[in-house]
Amino acid sequence: MKKGNVAAMLGILKPFRSLDPFLIMLIATVAAASLLPARGMAADWTDIAADAAIALLFFMHGAKLSRQAILQSVGHWRLHGLVFSSTYILFPIAGLATVMVAGGWINPLLLSGLLFLTLLPSTVQSSIAFTAMAGGNVAAAVTSASLSNLFGILLTPLLVSLFMQAGGNGAISTWDSVGGIVLQLLVPFIGGHLLRPWIGGFIERNKKILGPVDRASILLVVYSAFSAAVINGIWNRVGVVDLAELLLLSGLILAFIMGANVLAARVAGLSREDSIVLLFCGSKKSLVSGVPMAGALFAPAQVGLVVLPLMIFHQLQLFVCAALAGRFRREAEERARLAAAAASTVVPRSEDEIAEAAKAAGMEVPEACIPGVVANLGLLDRHAKALLGPNGHPKA
Amino acid sequence: MTRATDIAAAVRSGSVTALGVVEHCLEGLEREAGPLVAVTRILAERARADARLVDAALSMGRDPGPLAGVPFGVKDLFDVEGLPTTAGSGLYADAPPAPDDAEAIRRLRGAGAILVATLNMDEFAYGFATISARHGTTRNPHDLARLAGGSSGGSASAVAAGLLPFSLGSDTNGSIRVPASLCGLYGLKPTHDDLPMGGVFPFAQSFDDVGPFTTSMADMALIWEVLSGRSAVEDDGSGALRVARLGGRFRDNADPDQIAAMDAIAPDAPMIELPDIARARSAAFLITASEGGILHREALSRDAMAFDPATRDRLIAGALLPQALYETAQAFRARFKAAILDLIADYDVLLAPATPCVAPLVDDPRIMIDGVMTPARADLGIHTQPISFTGLPALSVPLRRPGQLPLGLQLIGKPGGEPALFRFAAMLEDRGITGVSSADFSAKIGIQGEYQ
Repeated sequence: MKKGNVAAMLGILKPFRSLDPFLIMLIATVAAASLLPARGMAADWTDIAADAAIALLFFMHGAKLSRQAILQSVGHWRLHGLVFSSTYILFPIAGLATVMVAGGWINPLLLSGLLFLTLLPSTVQSSIAFTAMAGGNVAAAVTSASLSNLFGILLTPLLVSLFMQAGGNGAISTWDSVGGIVLQLLVPFIGGHLLRPWIGGFIERNKKILGPVDRASILLVVYSAFSAAVINGIWNRVGVVDLAELLLLSGLILAFIMGANVLAARVAGLSREDSIVLLFCGSKKSLVSGVPMAGALFAPAQVGLVVLPLMIFHQLQLFVCAALAGRFRREAEERARLAAAAASTVVPRSEDEIAEAAKAAGMEVPEACIPGVVANLGLLDRHAKALLGPNGHPKA
Repeated sequence: MTRATDIAAAVRSGSVTALGVVEHCLEGLEREAGPLVAVTRILAERARADARLVDAALSMGRDPGPLAGVPFGVKDLFDVEGLPTTAGSGLYADAPPAPDDAEAIRRLRGAGAILVATLNMDEFAYGFATISARHGTTRNPHDLARLAGGSSGGSASAVAAGLLPFSLGSDTNGSIRVPASLCGLYGLKPTHDDLPMGGVFPFAQSFDDVGPFTTSMADMALIWEVLSGRSAVEDDGSGALRVARLGGRFRDNADPDQIAAMDAIAPDAPMIELPDIARARSAAFLITASEGGILHREALSRDAMAFDPATRDRLIAGALLPQALYETAQAFRARFKAAILDLIADYDVLLAPATPCVAPLVDDPRIMIDGVMTPARADLGIHTQPISFTGLPALSVPLRRPGQLPLGLQLIGKPGGEPALFRFAAMLEDRGITGVSSADFSAKIGIQGEYQ
């Protein structure tokens, strides 16, 4: 292959470099299920394994949930209330509105999946990671995301039964089955959390080993779901246009939620750090919780279609939040740098220091002035040293 | 050399007309000011109109004021109605005309004085040399090869040459006292913020003041009275003035004649060493640089290359100083001022040199400070800057030394202590220790002037 061709190929691959590796694994799993779906006995065993994986996942969620983290930020109830409202009120409203507007011209099961994702709890890891990256209030993000997941165990199934029945999408038949499913999720969750004093430390210490278990469980659920979906002819019902429509609708929902959260933060007078928490925790939906919940809440043949919008939304939110977090981080660094410069009594001397000081002062120093400015700052530096003395502070 | 008080007396008595005085002055400026590079604008029509008003008042039996018919000039940073206030910079050559005169001009005009010219300066008053890229370097009438000092160099040069009886300048770190010393005149930096600053282009507002250049103490006292609206005579002016001499760095960097004069004036006066004087000067330097830089930051961002290159680079450097350093300097200033006021509480007059040496050569504008040759433009104010730092009034008085280049002393007073300084300076003048020596300027440029 010629060098140019390799470069061209690398160029084509460039956009995929920023894809979440886990999403690539998910796509690979979907592809595997599409090409080699589990059938017959294999499907039964896969379903049992998937059920066990769901229980294991929620057991681990329970064991990971830190009560201390929740209690640490008790003073931030206004912020947590806003995040909660965004996750469980604003998002569902956006989902229901989308169903109303888009109903009729998009695959109803995909639309159900879109509504389903709006009913999910927020993510924990990525909300915290992006908040930390953006220089937000990490402690509050830990609490908010943890609370969101805690409530989600109960709220999401309830909201699903309420809205998805009302929407005529028929995911769940009766309240009794809701109770059963809640137990399926809740029992392992509470079990894990109660055992946290004994196993929490082990889980924390062995994150690297248990991480793959977490992920493998999700992949197993996805494989199981898509196997059933493929056998039911998912790819005959879903085309590229459907996926593009999903992407567009996901983008609109995300933009609406983020815009509303920015506005809410401003109206509530939140600090910059807390606004970041609201923006990131309030606009996320958890793939890690969503896939097993879908596995528990929906019929096996439907799960594949239901989680497809979640997978698309999840990647979109990662793209957008990564870009925003990077921008916020740069802004925070710039602010910190300016604050440090303002607190410093050091006279800028080198050309780089002069350029930085000029930027902070909102000026540009023309090239022709640099030698003269350097010389004058040298003189001023001598006076600064005379003022400050050897200890860096003028004596009284 | 004609004193303002003599001109006013002659005009008020009717022996000369104000218009006659003004015409004579304008003629002198037109004929002789060129080599000095001191005058930037001659305001002939305005001056004649004002002179006619003074004469009209007299003809109607009204007193035009204590400065009736006395011509004067102002540094290029005072607002003059109908003219752009340039502050010595080409950047403001086409600025909108000032709607009114500066308050100081209004008060002098109200006393009958007649503005005839605007005078050269360092761009934006940033310098002690009056080296102007726009108008050229102002020359010392005692030796045209030498600097007049600055930044109010035009104001000092024109008066020392005998072309004007008095002028106004501004003093931030010594911009009146330095040229007064180098040109052999009386020059006053008043108590900070005491004389009217309305309509004066600022430089560093922590230190900016305006003040007069005169050829006699009688003129100085009269003009200060007009500007301040107060009497130049102390309430209880009969007691002996308590004098101290400033030692340390002030004596380390002084001309032997200045030291001899101070010792002769007050041989028994205690020698006081102001603590941290070098540090005070450095703090003043930094505050000035920072305030000056910030004042012009916007214009520098817009069009830095339109500035005088030397001023531009100094202003940019000042604008880039860290805010925390500026605040540290201001905090030190507050402590220093309190300490100095305590230290001088028992004295009415402190004696110090005004400049460390006589006027430097234009072709080699350097001076010796602490044994090292340094730029005159930045360092001629070594003895004035620490005094500005405290806001105390300081009067530069010329040592009487005919035939030699001028040198001045500073008489430093307490806040509001100008009348005590005036009494002491008048006593020195009476004793012949201080006094203005003729620059023989007309002779130097080959003109026999009647005005001299």
